[in-house]
Amino acid sequence: MLALEMFRSLPRTAVGKALGGRLPMVGSATTPLRLVTRETPSVDKDGWVPLRTRLSGICGSDLGALSGATSLYFSALVSLPFVPGHEVVADLQEDCEDLPKGTRVVVDSVLTCATRGLQPCADCAAGATNRCSRVAVGHLPPALQTGFCRATGGGWGQQLTAHRSQLHVVPAEYSDEQAVLIEPLACAVHTALRAGVTSQQRVLVSGAGSVGLLTTLALRELTPAGEIIVVAKHAHQRELALRLGASEVVAPREVLRRVRRLTGAFQLEPDFSSPYLLGGVDVAVDAVGNRASLETAMHATRAGGRVVLSGMPASADLSAAWFRELELVGSYASARAEPAGVGRAAEPRGAFEIATELAGLDAVAQLATGVAPYPLHRWREALDHAQSAGRLGTVKVAFDPRDTR
Amino acid sequence: MSGGRRGFWRGGVDDVRQVSRGWRWGHRAQVPRSAQPWVPESESTVFRSDWARTRPAIAAREVVQRAGLEPVFRSSVRTHVQGLDILDRLEGPVIFAANHASHLDTPLVLLSLPDRWRRRTAVAAAADYFFDTWWRAVGSSVLFNTFPIDRRGGTMATTPGEVLEEGWSLLIFPEGTRSQDGWMGRFRMGAAYLAHAHDVPVVPVAHRGTFAAMPRGRSWPAPGRRQLTVRFGEPLRAREGESVRDFAARVRDGVAVLLDEDSTTWWEARRRAAAGATPDPSGPRVAQWRRLWEQSASPEVEPTGRRLVAWRRDRS
Amino acid sequence: MSRPGFVLEVDDRTPPLLVHEGLGFRLEEFPLGTRVVYPPESIEPVADVEQTIHDALHHPVDSDPLPSLLFAGMRLTIAFDDISTLLPTPQRPDVRQRIIEQVLTLAADAGVDDVVLISANAFHRRLTASELEAIVGERVFRSFFGEGLLVNHDAEDHDNLTFLGKTEADEHVVINKRAAESDLLVYVNTTLVPMEGGHKSVGIGLSAYNSLRHHHNHDTMVNSTSFMDRHSSELHASAWRMGRLIKDHVKVFQIEATVDNTVFPKSMGFLQKREWEWSIRDQATMLASRRALAAAPLKMRHRIFHDMRSQYRVTGVNAGEVEAVHDLTLAKVHEQQLVEVQGQTDVLVLGVPFLGPYNVHSSMNPILATCMGLGYVFNSYRGRPPVRQGGALILYHPLNEGFNQLHHPSYVDFYEEVLADSTDPAVIGPKYEQQFAQDEWYIHLYRTSHAYHGVHAFYMWYWASHAMDHVGDVIWVGGDRRVAARLGFRAASTLADALEMASGTVGTSPSITYLHNPPQLIADVR
Repeated sequence: MLALEMFRSLPRTAVGKALGGRLPMVGSATTPLRLVTRETPSVDKDGWVPLRTRLSGICGSDLGALSGATSLYFSALVSLPFVPGHEVVADLQEDCEDLPKGTRVVVDSVLTCATRGLQPCADCAAGATNRCSRVAVGHLPPALQTGFCRATGGGWGQQLTAHRSQLHVVPAEYSDEQAVLIEPLACAVHTALRAGVTSQQRVLVSGAGSVGLLTTLALRELTPAGEIIVVAKHAHQRELALRLGASEVVAPREVLRRVRRLTGAFQLEPDFSSPYLLGGVDVAVDAVGNRASLETAMHATRAGGRVVLSGMPASADLSAAWFRELELVGSYASARAEPAGVGRAAEPRGAFEIATELAGLDAVAQLATGVAPYPLHRWREALDHAQSAGRLGTVKVAFDPRDTR
Repeated sequence: MSGGRRGFWRGGVDDVRQVSRGWRWGHRAQVPRSAQPWVPESESTVFRSDWARTRPAIAAREVVQRAGLEPVFRSSVRTHVQGLDILDRLEGPVIFAANHASHLDTPLVLLSLPDRWRRRTAVAAAADYFFDTWWRAVGSSVLFNTFPIDRRGGTMATTPGEVLEEGWSLLIFPEGTRSQDGWMGRFRMGAAYLAHAHDVPVVPVAHRGTFAAMPRGRSWPAPGRRQLTVRFGEPLRAREGESVRDFAARVRDGVAVLLDEDSTTWWEARRRAAAGATPDPSGPRVAQWRRLWEQSASPEVEPTGRRLVAWRRDRS
Repeated sequence: MSRPGFVLEVDDRTPPLLVHEGLGFRLEEFPLGTRVVYPPESIEPVADVEQTIHDALHHPVDSDPLPSLLFAGMRLTIAFDDISTLLPTPQRPDVRQRIIEQVLTLAADAGVDDVVLISANAFHRRLTASELEAIVGERVFRSFFGEGLLVNHDAEDHDNLTFLGKTEADEHVVINKRAAESDLLVYVNTTLVPMEGGHKSVGIGLSAYNSLRHHHNHDTMVNSTSFMDRHSSELHASAWRMGRLIKDHVKVFQIEATVDNTVFPKSMGFLQKREWEWSIRDQATMLASRRALAAAPLKMRHRIFHDMRSQYRVTGVNAGEVEAVHDLTLAKVHEQQLVEVQGQTDVLVLGVPFLGPYNVHSSMNPILATCMGLGYVFNSYRGRPPVRQGGALILYHPLNEGFNQLHHPSYVDFYEEVLADSTDPAVIGPKYEQQFAQDEWYIHLYRTSHAYHGVHAFYMWYWASHAMDHVGDVIWVGGDRRVAARLGFRAASTLADALEMASGTVGTSPSITYLHNPPQLIADVR
């Protein structure tokens, strides 16, 4: 089986870390990734089934891991060498319990107690599967998700294996491109519901990459948010954000001013530091995960407001969180049982169920046409494209391992 | 950055080109027709020339005339100078009044003068031509020690009277402009007036051949080292009670007699003068081509035994 | 001897003509037949400024002499025009300083103790201490500033505003409380353009939003044709109604000074001359300046221009009753600035210079450039506009100076938010003006920092209402395309391109008028 494999390379990781992912990866030798022929992954336990990958997205966290920008915090939660790819659309290669062979599924990548053959931990039992506390034990090597695990394989290979509890059937009328957006949509659903938006509150979404755009959609569909202000760098993101439910789209340098104007806040200019507001939006979502974005989110949020960390966060100045008594809320992956929202989320349901419904919306179908698939052997190109996806006007870059051209 | 720098220089070149075209560099700037009524009364648009009579300018002129003008002049024409003896009997300043047929007249007269006189002689030049661009003003001032006079009768930054008062002799062409056909024109009264007012003698100067060598419109003497002749006459002073008008006529007659003398002999010319039969220097009233035909021939000079070398002054 | 202004017709003898464009200028070769309106040369200034002021104060028009109005124990308030009037900032001593010093000398002689000086800046930014000092002079500044008796008018300090009543047109009249409660209010005005002065001084300079909103709006400005001609200006009609009401409550002693046309210092003399009269030296200076400006970064160009001090000389000082004084002032201003122009043309070309009333020591942002071009310069006419209804307006400005966050914080929001929605003054006024006028943050910055009031950006846009209403096409030569688009206009790189673009509106061989401004001129279009 052909697959892209991330391996342990101290020098490469160190260099990548030092550069902080600032240099383009293509041509540099700092990416600890290689195209290899591997054993077909298999987990010889009940409920595990081999899958053939149709499409697998490149996520921001993948790029972070490859460029070494990710915190070493996570080093204990991966098992090298592994095949990345946790946004997966695949076909079942065998019958699996109730699902016949050939069923097209998407994978909820979180490796919960159920997949590890353990009794459910308290969180898993409550349906908060993304908070599972057993991700480092059981009969799988330590790994927070499929795509970071040595044993399961990942979407960036021709085949992988998954547990029945991870599988969600894709409706037949969906295209693969739509389906590959279901996993990120599920995360967006989770984020939107974690944001705890109450009626007519103002929400700021910092970032208009796939996370930001899908979160905007989820916020509009599942919460009673009033104005949703989206920070978009690029022109096409502006249009997409408006189509997905943003009420205002602003450029990064305009954010504070615009939020200030909308909310009648006061703006202060500290010495040698970025300006901030006294007052601002009720809820801010950082959908980028870099320092500037997170600080913008905190600086534009009113006292007592809520800041949701949707992107994998970088270190930032937390003064505002302390002084403005902000609630910093993390939002990781998605849960089997989400809290209730409005609309489709009025009843507590699983994030993937809601996400699958949302993926059928016209706006998402439209968005899916912008998915750019690459064969595995053109991985350098694909990663480069993914890194500048915003600028190039692509919502999602994905691997199509079936394609060998 | 190099692109920016290139743009910077190109912009500069474009600007200069635009300005040189728009403001007609080398020419007199023009006033838009509709702005004509608003042109202020010009006080003096003439460039000053007093500096040309300072010591450094005199020294510079000496160098330019000796090292530049004279060799060029000699190599282009032959000259025959007569009557310089009268200058020995005179003390400056005087006014040299000459007929005017060519741009060669000024260097011819100046270079014919003995050094002592040449260095103290200034040339009256039309302000509207020689002093209307700075480079022409500077050039002519350095080369010929010109000062501006207004042929239309305006006032000048420097008046000829002041130059005279400073002890400079003046070379004036009383016709005011170069002859169209080589024949002498009407004399204006400026020279006579100045001589009258400042009580200085007028030395009539007649020359022939400059029209043939370099008429109007030519910028360089005709090839073949044409012959020029120049003849200085007896100084004239205004008589007691003589009007400027009469004196001016006498100056013209003086030049006419000299021209006659130059083409014939002194004795014949004197006799004709006494008889009032001096040929009219404005030429016969015949067809224009015949007037031009006659003037376009260079004068002939009888060989004086000695072979004329490139430049010779007859100081007899 | 000063020559009157005149209208040049571009012919084959005409050299390229200078056009101001922000922090720079260019030489433009106009199509043959273009009419170029040149301002009159500087008229004769008064021989002795001090004596002229003295005479004005002792022999005022329709008023008792100032000394007889001053008495011990009175409350005397002296208000004066802020930095927005004499442009560029004049060299010292400022004529306002000379007048104020004489007034104060008289007040001291009369034993007046209670004196306050107020900069009549309405919704303009507060002046800095050094700007105040430059206007009133070191002596006055030292005597009053430290005591808190030399202040900026604060139109949002509701405790210190007085409601005087309503005019017959139901307009609220609110002015500075101290001024309203004084025994005598002396207003020291300098009139550079005929818009200024008269009842506009107190009625607008010392008023507040409740008053200003009556005349600073789209409807009024569309009906002010032009706002430089007080007899045809709705703005002034309103100010006059208010002024007459103020007169019933407060004794106002108006002092108005007029100046000549000497804008530029000798070193930049070519900017002041008619092009065909440029000497070799002028041409060389111009070429050198062009190169220096091309090489200099924006910041340095800004410095070069804004450090320039105007050389205005006083042509007259009149004092006394507001309206009588203003008539004399207008006569003098018209003598200096009026140029007779016959008929309208299809296209009007205007250079927008580096400075307008609202960017002293600041940047000419796109909104101010619009206000300057479509407002001030376009309205520099009497009778009818030099361009026909539906004609094209071609302006020169790069529109690249950005926004000064200290001085114009609300402008940025106006630009990014309001103009993105609509550029029609009639639309944005009702929709957004209140939000900006009542934004606490703008009010805070206006009162404590040096920011123009939040609503001021709207006023700038209203200033351009008449031009937008009148012309069919607005094209910025050399302007940033994206900025021009945001403003609702178009940009062209050259005049030829602009004329090409305008050909849809005015045909391929339009008649053209170019107002050669600055120095300031008023086209008297017959």
